[in-house]
Amino acid sequence: MDSALEPITDWLRERNPEAGDIPLDLDLVESRMVDSLGFMEFILLLEDLVGRELPLSDLNVDHFRTLRAIQDNFLSSASSSRRPS
Amino acid sequence: MAGLTRQGGGPADGTGEATDDSAEFRALLDRLSDKATEDYYNPFTTFDWPETIPTDEFWMSPELLTVHGTDLMDALTPRQLLDLSRWESVHFYSLNVHGIRDLLIEVMRRVHTPGFRAPSEFFHHFIGEENDHMWFFATFCLTYADKIYPDKKLRLPEPPRDPAVENFLVFVRILVFEQIVDHYNVRLAGDERLHPTIRHINRLHHQDESRHIAFGRRLVELLWQRLCAAEPDEAVRRATGDYVGRYLTTMMESFYSPAVYRDAGIPDGFAVRKRLLAHPARHTAHAQVLRKTTDFLTRIGVLDAAR
Repeated sequence: MDSALEPITDWLRERNPEAGDIPLDLDLVESRMVDSLGFMEFILLLEDLVGRELPLSDLNVDHFRTLRAIQDNFLSSASSSRRPS
Repeated sequence: MAGLTRQGGGPADGTGEATDDSAEFRALLDRLSDKATEDYYNPFTTFDWPETIPTDEFWMSPELLTVHGTDLMDALTPRQLLDLSRWESVHFYSLNVHGIRDLLIEVMRRVHTPGFRAPSEFFHHFIGEENDHMWFFATFCLTYADKIYPDKKLRLPEPPRDPAVENFLVFVRILVFEQIVDHYNVRLAGDERLHPTIRHINRLHHQDESRHIAFGRRLVELLWQRLCAAEPDEAVRRATGDYVGRYLTTMMESFYSPAVYRDAGIPDGFAVRKRLLAHPARHTAHAQVLRKTTDFLTRIGVLDAAR
């Protein structure tokens, strides 16, 4: 797993101690690892990692649904050009 | 049973029915509607909007800042403290704008629908007043800061809930939001260090919210009683109470904004937020802000259900 994802997986494990390994394609929303109440903290963490504010009006749940989606949309080296603006 | 209706006026679809509380609830609604009419004001002509508000004054009482009681407050320069006060003030009104939008959507969904016949008359006052509040909070932000801090909430897909649970959660969220905001309004309205326009906004908001809170407390109590009567499964009640407990925490955490810290010239906003949220002085401050709310929710059994 990409080390850029580590703060995200640490955050998820902290809130879901029973989680263990979190597969890249696990649906984080369906599995309730992130819910509406936890989302604000989650997005602030992600903004801290990418170094800028993320406009939620341009994003939808699929941008955050799995670790792979988070990596592709926000954290990979190529994501800055593909990232939702 | 989804909502509340006047005695004898229960809709045919079984979503509401009379309770022993109906006459008393109806009397409260009539009294609050009369008071709303009596207190009515035109927000568009009520306020003096000066061209600027001096930035060398506090805009938010220092005792209400997210750094209060911590070592970080002592480490800030006087300029940073004033800037933080200004940006936390703008952030507070931004939270109000977004919170009001959310609650208006939910109340609009329910006004004049089965189960909400009795409170619908008061809902009209509520909707009108909340629209006014949203306007003056947004006007303040845009006039004096040229921005509204963006909403950080996103409604993620959730398994459908029983209507009795969903209705209870909608109105308990509204009540919690209003009671937290009111704690700030009362103190900001009474703080002579603040600009008259800031005090005026908070005083009028408190005046209207006093009625909304009186209404909300009774409505939430009735909806909780109905949820308990309709829902024999203790696990559902406990999960509902757990959700409310988490909601209280999340609401207080929403005051700690990395964007605000950045605007105030405080670096590493996310780390600062995390550090402040772990500080015992902030836990004490949150308990003070939430005291009326937790006392009420404990008295009616919601928070007990979470234990």
